[in-house]
Amino acid sequence: MNPISDLIDKINNQKLWDREIVLERNEYLKVKGTIDTNIYLIKSGSLRIFVIDEYEEHTIRFGYKNNLIASLDSFLNEQPSDFYIQALKKTNVNVISKKKYISFIESSPENKELWLSVLENFVLQQMERERDILTSSPVERYKRVLKRSPQLFQEIPNKYIASYLRMTPETLSRIKKS
Amino acid sequence: MAIATKKLLQDLLEITRANLNGAEQLKKESITSLNWKPAAESWSALECIEHLNRYGDFYIPEITVKIQTSTHKPSEIFKSNWLGTYFSKSVSYNENIKKMKTFPSMNPLHSELDLQTIDKFIDQQHQILALLDQSKDINLDKTKTAISISRFIKLRLGDTFRVVIYHNQRHIKQAEKAIKMSIGKKLHV
Repeated sequence: MNPISDLIDKINNQKLWDREIVLERNEYLKVKGTIDTNIYLIKSGSLRIFVIDEYEEHTIRFGYKNNLIASLDSFLNEQPSDFYIQALKKTNVNVISKKKYISFIESSPENKELWLSVLENFVLQQMERERDILTSSPVERYKRVLKRSPQLFQEIPNKYIASYLRMTPETLSRIKKS
Repeated sequence: MAIATKKLLQDLLEITRANLNGAEQLKKESITSLNWKPAAESWSALECIEHLNRYGDFYIPEITVKIQTSTHKPSEIFKSNWLGTYFSKSVSYNENIKKMKTFPSMNPLHSELDLQTIDKFIDQQHQILALLDQSKDINLDKTKTAISISRFIKLRLGDTFRVVIYHNQRHIKQAEKAIKMSIGKKLHV
């Protein structure tokens, strides 16, 4: 079984979510500079995480229905984080505070194990992502991401995919056509 | 008033997030609604935003320079003073809002406005977020800024932020109210 969905099922069963937040398209769940230690479950819609560097936005990750999303840096170190989290369409998320989440994780060895495998998966994904960014050919970058997450191309507008792939929207549509 | 500096900055970031979300919602309204006003001398939603942009045009460069040139070490506590509290209270939003006089140069009445007005406001909010972030490393009491309405008064940076951000919140809410009324009037949009 997938550790993330196991984890989510358990949190659902124990009714640990603190509240639900509804975001309209383009609204922000988090902005640069805030300390956001919550973990969010996306119930519907999609979100993106990005940073702004000298007026240019760099898209870092996307979140879809049934994904967990967090500003993981703030979650871990409780310090301000540069990340923005923005809704790409109308999005509903459930929220759990770090405190509640940690006490849930620590309540059983099984939960601890689940969390560890979620984090391990995340490290593997980050390594793939690092390889993406170091791939110099735009076409190869596109192919890698298409193979890994075809869902991305179903759900996310082109301009954000282009930003994620570090290319202009024009280059992306040229590559898609060829 | 005294407040932990970290808490003050986090509160101001949170209000700015809400202001940004308010502006993103306004962008989805029709231009007719955005330009509609309850009375000839009242402001439309876009005029509210334009009013904020004019203040932003003064305060954002002023705060940027003062942060860059500040040499005071940060302090755990922001103390404020009576003047800062007075100004930030007087511009902030509350339910039984009193009408205030606007300085002529800041009055946007009858300006030509369009969606670019909102884009400019959104851009200014990203700049304010960056400035709040940079302010972690300087002293919000000892760093002073000029204010737009008098050459003789200086405000503490923490208070300047409060004035600008509470003022943004006030007029975003006013703009939202104008939109609600315009929809109530069943405009042909």
